[in-house]
Amino acid sequence: MEKIMAPFADFGEEVVRAENLRKTFTLSRKQQRLDKTGQTHKIAVAGLSFSAYRGEIYGLLGPNGAGKTTTLRILSTLIRPDAGDAFVCGHSVSREAQKVRDQIGFMTSELKLEGFFTPAYLFDFFGALHGVEKETLAKRRKELFERFGIDRFAEVRIKDLSTGMLQKVSLVISIVHDPAVVIFDEPTNGLDVLTAKVVTDFLLELKAMGKSILLSTHIFSLVEKLCDRVGIIIDGRMAADGTLESVCAGSTLEDKFFEIYHAVKGETI
Amino acid sequence: MKLLALMKKEFTRFFRDPRLIVSMILPGILIYIIYSVMGTAMTSEPAAYHFNVYVSGESAVVQTIEQTVELNEGWTVTFEQTDDADAARAEVETGEATALIVFSEGFDDMIGLAPRASIIPAAELVYNSEDSAISAFAAIADAVLDAYGRSFVLTTTDYAQSENFAAQMMAGILPFLIVVFVFSSCMSVTLESVAGEKERGTLATILVTSARRWDIALGKVLPLACVSLIGAASSFLGVALSMPALMGVSIDVAIGGIGFVDYLMLFLLIFSFVPLIVAAIAAVSTLSRSVKEASGYTSVIMILMMVLSIVTAFVDGIGGWVVAVPVLNAVSAMQGVLMGNMVVWQCIVSFALNIVYAGVLVFLIARMLSSERIMFGK
Repeated sequence: MEKIMAPFADFGEEVVRAENLRKTFTLSRKQQRLDKTGQTHKIAVAGLSFSAYRGEIYGLLGPNGAGKTTTLRILSTLIRPDAGDAFVCGHSVSREAQKVRDQIGFMTSELKLEGFFTPAYLFDFFGALHGVEKETLAKRRKELFERFGIDRFAEVRIKDLSTGMLQKVSLVISIVHDPAVVIFDEPTNGLDVLTAKVVTDFLLELKAMGKSILLSTHIFSLVEKLCDRVGIIIDGRMAADGTLESVCAGSTLEDKFFEIYHAVKGETI
Repeated sequence: MKLLALMKKEFTRFFRDPRLIVSMILPGILIYIIYSVMGTAMTSEPAAYHFNVYVSGESAVVQTIEQTVELNEGWTVTFEQTDDADAARAEVETGEATALIVFSEGFDDMIGLAPRASIIPAAELVYNSEDSAISAFAAIADAVLDAYGRSFVLTTTDYAQSENFAAQMMAGILPFLIVVFVFSSCMSVTLESVAGEKERGTLATILVTSARRWDIALGKVLPLACVSLIGAASSFLGVALSMPALMGVSIDVAIGGIGFVDYLMLFLLIFSFVPLIVAAIAAVSTLSRSVKEASGYTSVIMILMMVLSIVTAFVDGIGGWVVAVPVLNAVSAMQGVLMGNMVVWQCIVSFALNIVYAGVLVFLIARMLSSERIMFGK
């Protein structure tokens, strides 16, 4: 497989590449009423292309409905693009979904853990589904559970955990197999400040370990704190893509975002 | 490895939840209690009953029949030797006498010699089962004669206009009840496990892992079928154990006519349609957006299956085509087994086809799990 190196210092080869991704959803009558539109289809992603490299955190920034979550769901193979393709560690999400799933850890609020089971049980269960050896799994569980303070709640049922603890459990389970690429959809949404800090610190740790992290968010400060590069998505299209410095060009990210938003939509907030 | 992990999770979910275990076993206990009470109320044989039986020819087995019948409290039997078998038959037909047993000449001596002897010993049991007490006597006599020795020809003549009540109950109702109970137990675990997981978003979490869709589908259907078998076994035992009370005979008599091979066939037939029903409910659950929706669709399938099962049980002249119809083929085959008319090819083909149908459904579930519209359509 040909290695494409990052055109930036400090980063490794390309591990994620989205090529002209397109995705359209059919709108139900109810959704049409809610959106106050007569259109039967909504273009969620309209020809999106970008790359992410080893050892970087890439942020997809955009307002609600911009297509961030749809893009991440395509990358995680939960849904298929109507056109275009994306590659994770060289594997096509459309044609080699199984191989892509081996390489990614995906966390989103849409994916839930069964309340009946305990964190320890589910960690082992998902580890087995990813084909992790028992010894490796036990070692990894000890490390991660201690790192996030889950060890004291390891045998408490998921349904009895606090929201913050549940988020931590979801996080460690999503990376049970030590994936090369970590995809997080709105990683700090609904978290208290303490848990949010634990999560953001861990993302930086993962980056230091050479992992590639893709995250979607609408929080400017999170991008500024975590991301090496950012893609600004508006109406399913990539409005800006590059390092924070190149995209901001001396402005704050917030100011730049609204400037781009105004240019694309022709609206002032 | 991954399939095992998926299966283990389903088993753990079931066996660590006492409520689920109770919900599986309780129906069988309730069925036993309710049917036994119903049977006691319905079968109104007098506590004391006297049987008047004619005997033509001689055999020591008569004493064994007498002892077995009189094991039932209040039941007595008188054997009257007769040379006029035709007159005795007439009395049996009108119900004046309980039964006639005809033994060939030198019956007991010949049994030891057969099958080397040139003349095979024979016995005939004549009765009229329209009276349920006589039916019970005949069943006992039949079972005792059957156990007496294999090397003689036993023929039975029943003058009843309607079919034997006990056999009709067993053959007609039991397979139908088995299907209903199996369906109920399959429904209670499968809806929650498949539609419930889909509704709660926990199934999607599994879809992001390295597990293949086929493994996920099989990892649901196999353990759920095993768990449903527990529920089905409980219900089956409840029905089978209460059936004697419902028919007014002892359990030995009720099952006396069913041999090991018959039981094996019954087990195999049940074993074949449990995974099929689980797979069908799992497929509907995968298609549905919620447990409520899946429950609605499944109820329609259940009603359809109940109607067809009852039709198969009581409508004569259903052709061989029924063997191609999932589940109904097993119902029809089970009726044959219970009536003593087991058609081996029908049992084997039904078993095989049901397993194949279940496999096809698992394949379809795997395809559905890959379908974005089905799994994530709003």
